[in-house]
Amino acid sequence: MKTTKINYLIPLLLISGILIASNYSSSFNEYISIEKKTLNSSENKDNFTKMMDVLTHPRCMNCHPSDNVPKQGIDSHPHYFGMEGGEKDQGFKATKCATCHQKENNNFSGVPGAPHWGLAPQSMAWKGLTRQEIAAVILNPEKNGGKDHKGVIKHLTEDDLVLWAWNPGVDAAGNKREKPPISEEEFKKVVKEWFADGAIIPEN
Amino acid sequence: MAKKKISRRKFLVRGGLGTLGVLALGTYVFRNPIRREIIDFADSFVSPYSGTGTEPNLWFEITKDNTVILHSPKVEMGQGTFTGLAQIAADELDIDINQIQVIAASTASGIVDGLGTGGSLSVASMWMPLREMAATIRKMITIEAAKKLEIPVENLSTQNGIVSGNGTKITYAKAVENVTEWEIPDTPKLKPVADYKLVGKPVARIDLKAKVFGDPIFGMDAEMEDMLHAVVIRPEHIGATYKSANFNKAAQMPGVVKVVQIEDWIGVVAKTYAQALAAKMEVDVEWNIPKKWTEQEIRALISVGNGNEVLVQKEGDNLDDDDKEFLEIEFKSPMGAHAQIEPNGAVASYKDGKVTVILSTQVVGITQNQISKALDIDTKNINIIPTYLGGGFGRRLNTKHAIKAVQLSKEVGQPVKYFFTRKEEFQNDMFRPPTHHIMKGKLNEKGQISNLEHHFASGNVAIDSALLPDIANTILGADFGAIRGGSIHYSAIENIRAVQWHKTLPFATSWWRSLGLLANTFAIESFVDELALKGNQNPIELRLSQIKDNEEGIRLKNVIKKAQKEASYSDEVVNGKAMGFACSTDTGTPCAQIVEVSIIDNQIKVHKVTCVMDCGIAVNPDQVKAQCEGAMIMAMSAAMHEKMYIDDGQLQPTIYGPYDMALLKHAPKEINIHLIQGVDKPLPVGEPPLGPIAAAIANAVRRITGKRLTEMPLKLS
Amino acid sequence: MNIKFTINNKPVSIDIEDENTPLLWVVRDILDLKGTKFGCGKAACGACTLHVDDVAVRSCSYAVKFAKDKNVTTIEGLGDVENPHPVQQAWIEEVVPQCGYCQPGFMMATAALLKENPNPTDEDIDKNIINICRCATYYRMRKAIHRAAELTQESKN
Repeated sequence: MKTTKINYLIPLLLISGILIASNYSSSFNEYISIEKKTLNSSENKDNFTKMMDVLTHPRCMNCHPSDNVPKQGIDSHPHYFGMEGGEKDQGFKATKCATCHQKENNNFSGVPGAPHWGLAPQSMAWKGLTRQEIAAVILNPEKNGGKDHKGVIKHLTEDDLVLWAWNPGVDAAGNKREKPPISEEEFKKVVKEWFADGAIIPEN
Repeated sequence: MAKKKISRRKFLVRGGLGTLGVLALGTYVFRNPIRREIIDFADSFVSPYSGTGTEPNLWFEITKDNTVILHSPKVEMGQGTFTGLAQIAADELDIDINQIQVIAASTASGIVDGLGTGGSLSVASMWMPLREMAATIRKMITIEAAKKLEIPVENLSTQNGIVSGNGTKITYAKAVENVTEWEIPDTPKLKPVADYKLVGKPVARIDLKAKVFGDPIFGMDAEMEDMLHAVVIRPEHIGATYKSANFNKAAQMPGVVKVVQIEDWIGVVAKTYAQALAAKMEVDVEWNIPKKWTEQEIRALISVGNGNEVLVQKEGDNLDDDDKEFLEIEFKSPMGAHAQIEPNGAVASYKDGKVTVILSTQVVGITQNQISKALDIDTKNINIIPTYLGGGFGRRLNTKHAIKAVQLSKEVGQPVKYFFTRKEEFQNDMFRPPTHHIMKGKLNEKGQISNLEHHFASGNVAIDSALLPDIANTILGADFGAIRGGSIHYSAIENIRAVQWHKTLPFATSWWRSLGLLANTFAIESFVDELALKGNQNPIELRLSQIKDNEEGIRLKNVIKKAQKEASYSDEVVNGKAMGFACSTDTGTPCAQIVEVSIIDNQIKVHKVTCVMDCGIAVNPDQVKAQCEGAMIMAMSAAMHEKMYIDDGQLQPTIYGPYDMALLKHAPKEINIHLIQGVDKPLPVGEPPLGPIAAAIANAVRRITGKRLTEMPLKLS
Repeated sequence: MNIKFTINNKPVSIDIEDENTPLLWVVRDILDLKGTKFGCGKAACGACTLHVDDVAVRSCSYAVKFAKDKNVTTIEGLGDVENPHPVQQAWIEEVVPQCGYCQPGFMMATAALLKENPNPTDEDIDKNIINICRCATYYRMRKAIHRAAELTQESKN
């Protein structure tokens, strides 16, 4: 199974490379007018939907706030004790994210952890945006830290902090945190396919 | 002068723990003070100091380097008692504050207070006995010095731990060296308070340096040789009991020595704490859960009109329910947790039928009795060694968990350190009970309050407490903990009622710093302000007009007037900022507070507090102020943040954060405290300042927003 | 496994079965430094705050393996009676502690704050000092933090 998937993905990645070159634009409206090139419309939309189901899940959204205040839990309440992203998204000067959050989850305390734990930069604030707007922000190098599609794919499918969502550990009460609605493998697959299909943002 | 002689063998001699050439001085004199203190209790609110045992016991030691060690029957939990007691003793002993140390007496070495350490009574109740004891011992030392120096006692004087006269001198340590028989003089005349050099001065806490440099002084820091570490699993649902468990996997985990089920709990004992905790995560337990309680059911239980009714205060007539004129407002307060930072726990050793327990406790003697009863061990074989407490607040008036530590030690044949996880702490607290109040009142045509009634319901505070024999509940009728602050101190009002309704909850509620005072004052003082608004009167002037000019009334009026003046009270709202006033009298200590409040981002912000308190003699004014500051901010935390609730049959939340508490940013930036000495003895300090602030804040918010907040924690929306 | 690090400027080497053991318990029970306190075990109260390479860390939630080759400082290493850290000196001058249990964590958090921000405003203090003190000694703490900043400044001049 694994081999088949990979074989299937390689040509898709190549195609996506071409699409990046030909269709990149910083204008949001132009994204949604991009014509689909390879897969049929229902499959394409399905990939987008699944990808966005993950990205809008609290496991991801909690660290992409629009108010510089990290959120916690499946109910996305503001981080206790008034923690904020601070000037550099890494917490306050002395009480930083890293004061409590380390490189990996801590099963004793229930404090989650992953490399470079912190808030997404303000330019990547997702809270309050529609799925289409979030996708546009992700694709926009001016907002995503200068990433081209390849870079975005790498971030979404390889970054330890992103993939932490599928290894979220236990909370303070020792209960397992909820994972995003699809598996890590499926997420990686739909992300790659979506980009391969031209990273087209459906109208709704 | 009638002199009793007593041989040295009658005094307990303490050894070890780094004191040199230990000489113990015990004394008979503690018997008389007890009797007198009981009489005192009859006409004051200060409960008697009640020591254990009938034999003379260890009070003071004098070490070879001329340091006096006071074995305190009271424990130190932050309230500054050790410092206050050191000041009192040092002044009568004629020693410097640097020449005295204070340690908590263990049951084997000294006298532990039978009533425990609580009720803000430590300094107040020890005031006379300790002065008499110290004065007597100074005399005893002088008598021995006279023998050694061969100078008549009358020619000797004492200063800084030295006895001198006729051009010669001897240290206390030298004077008492090799004494085998003591002459016990009658209690000498005490020094006038005005002559004290330390009492009344802001002496730095004697435990300050230990606490700033991180010395191992707490129960959590205690260790014994070959000690193992234990964690305990308890049911999470209210009223649940043990059904079955599988701990095969846990028992195989690294470092695990034993997993054992006893009664309704499971103990996991391992070489290290982390190993015990890791193994705990692998234990599968099934509990019998007979019922899942809901928040609504608990709130319904605690409701005026439900349970046993006790008339607490009665003057004049009832309000007529058909009277359309009177004002009626309902108030509520939630359950609160103690949430002290040092978790409960104990280090225990059970060996050859002998038990040693080191722990943070407010009830040294009671814990000894509880272990004795539970495990059928004679108290003489149980030594309880109290440490400094990482917070008490009433939580450690019940430290029955020491029994579990002893049981676990017995199971593994080694000493065991067991302490609560934070979740265990929150779910097995002895909570501040929820309360419900109905206030009724009426103004007459002159604008005076003609009727004031406080009808209130609360879960247990004193009732069912280990501090009281069961019989006391029957005699007392009302829950004397829950009624603290529940009576109306506006003595000039003709028609007064205070009626308490009591119901026992399906989980433990008990002593929480200031007991009923916090919630009762919130209800009464919010309501009185509302009456003032109704009558378009200055709320302070209205209050002053409702207090009789008896001794208690004058003291109350004095704190009110002083607060009014110091804060320049005004009932006007200026630039969105308003003042709020409230006052209370608790255990004979009147206290008035004025807060300055504004609303920022829909949050109540307290900028400044003025507090005036008449606590009699302030043995250490700086520490009295520290108690006021801490008590007021703790009360603010309860008033504006804290709330326990029931979800899915469990007490929640189980961790700080979700259990919202005041942080540094919530503390007022300006606190002005003024102490008045209205009586010539020290009165309770640690709890009275918790009374007024919740109502004071609500009264200020009412003036800013027009809205009367009637439920704690106070929220604008 | 064996883990080496320095604690209060002294190199230590410890053998431990579980490298995920929280640093707190290594410091307290193996290295016998009891000044760092256990309060909640959930990184919520801050009683266990110490420094790892000068960064404030809540040690109940910090696996000992992460301390490898790093410098750990506890309250015992912050200063002593003869040579108190300005934060400790300020805490003494303002008579901050009541029960005292949470104070080492607060002092460590404050020392970290002053290192990053030698003259913190009230707002800086409000944001950074978010440990919990049940005795509510907050009023004196704020004064002591400002005083510690002054003392640090004085010692530099």
